[in-house]
Amino acid sequence: MGSVASEFTKGLWKEIPPFRLVLGLCPTLAVTTSAENGLGMGAAVIFVLALSNVLISLVRSIIPKKVRIACFIAIAASLVVAVEMLMQAFAYPLYQQLGIFVPLIVVNCIILGRAEAFAAKNPPHLALADGLGMGIGFTLSLTFLGSLREIFGAGTWFGHSLFGPNYHPFSFLVQAPGAFVCLGIILAGMNFLSIWQAKRKGLELDPNFDAGCKGCMACKKMDEIAAQKRLERLGAKA
Amino acid sequence: MVNQQSAFTVTAAPFWHSGRTLTGDMYRLLLVLLPAALLGMYRFGYDALTVLALAGLTAVATEALVQRPMRQTPSAHDFTALADGILFAFMLPATAPWWIVVVGSATTIILGRMVFGGYGGSPVCAPAVGWCVLTVSWPAYMDLNGMLLAWDLVEPLSDLKYFGAESVAHITPGSLLLGEHLGALGASQSGLVLLAGIALLAMGRVRWHIPVSYLAGVFGTALIYWLIDPQLYAPPLFHILAGTTIFTAFFLLPYPSAAPVFRIPMLLFGLLAGALTILIRVYGIYPDGAPFAVLLANLCTPLLDLIQPKPFGGR
Repeated sequence: MGSVASEFTKGLWKEIPPFRLVLGLCPTLAVTTSAENGLGMGAAVIFVLALSNVLISLVRSIIPKKVRIACFIAIAASLVVAVEMLMQAFAYPLYQQLGIFVPLIVVNCIILGRAEAFAAKNPPHLALADGLGMGIGFTLSLTFLGSLREIFGAGTWFGHSLFGPNYHPFSFLVQAPGAFVCLGIILAGMNFLSIWQAKRKGLELDPNFDAGCKGCMACKKMDEIAAQKRLERLGAKA
Repeated sequence: MVNQQSAFTVTAAPFWHSGRTLTGDMYRLLLVLLPAALLGMYRFGYDALTVLALAGLTAVATEALVQRPMRQTPSAHDFTALADGILFAFMLPATAPWWIVVVGSATTIILGRMVFGGYGGSPVCAPAVGWCVLTVSWPAYMDLNGMLLAWDLVEPLSDLKYFGAESVAHITPGSLLLGEHLGALGASQSGLVLLAGIALLAMGRVRWHIPVSYLAGVFGTALIYWLIDPQLYAPPLFHILAGTTIFTAFFLLPYPSAAPVFRIPMLLFGLLAGALTILIRVYGIYPDGAPFAVLLANLCTPLLDLIQPKPFGGR
């Protein structure tokens, strides 16, 4: 069990949710058409994630193992309803922009993932640090992705025009396929960075970051399936 | 157990090289496209030449630039990048501004090829990727009718989209075949592109399954619509000869590494792309959807290729 500080900072870079854990991709791809939307979505997730982590950590000893997922979802759902109403009251334009993705925070992988993997096993102060760190990491990622798409796809940043009227925005980036392309490029950049860092420190490469044959193993799997089929056929023959 | 290593290990000698090389294939491809490119230049003037040259040059330069950080051996000499750039330029309006050509050509190479590791590694047709990204980003600059206002002719597919089937009723198949209408720089010279495709077939560089089944798919689907209401939908032959259909059939769909390799999958692939082309033309927001159909069909390639022939003696 790490310290509060290390639990907090791991969400900011080492396990930054969308780019390292590759969790919560649905809002990451769908709402980041502008930096403002990314920031707003991130803020909602910080609120829900931090509070749900603390609540789940508080009641972790009385939740029966068999129904824990239902309990986590009930807690997350009540918090999401609270966020939704707060947004309707104080940030209605943003609420209209985000639409269905605010209620969908309930089933966001990050909420459930952190509840299951961390909050259900750790005391409340660590769970709070973890939730805040993960939430802020998620917000930073969403704002970064949103900025990237907004700057090149619309020529603006937080609504301010950047390049003047002669810029023809590359609107591919603010549409759905652009989200996938941007995210793919960022993920590739993250992997490139970790390989480069590992090499500089002279460490062994993490096998998960090996882009070659070792990381995928799909062909081996295919061979196994083929061999199994062949055995089945031989069995049928005999 | 068969693994990657033993599958590619060649043992028993002697060997005979078929003489077929990548460079040779690309030479032939560029050579058969030359007449259509020349007719495009004749029709649209120096603009067409500028677009072709710029697209080809950008493609080669982008590949060279990207290959350096990827630590690949530079492969500009095999003409694959040039061929991709030229194929992409064939689908542009001749008066496209220079920056759109540069961005599109670089997108073709980077998003269509290099992110997958280079030529032969991409699961999608690279020139179609470039075209689709541009069409989604700058529809006004890719609009063939709007970009070619200086010419008196009309673009048949735009007319069909915005004014209905009556407005294209007077266009004869013969004039479409000769390219006497506005359209993409090279792809609209349907007759010459068709001849180029047949030349590739005759040289054995493209197998007949994909082009024929694609044209059959376009014809069949268009026929169904036409039989439902000839007042509302254009006749099937019009759909085959207008726009980029023939170019798609012979040059985009059989793109190596993005098309299936077995016979039945190739036929299904062509039919699927043909049906999608007509569906996109009828219901889509863009006048011509052939490259979109190509990309969608490309996504089905790995699944289609699971339909494999039985080995001799297998059961």
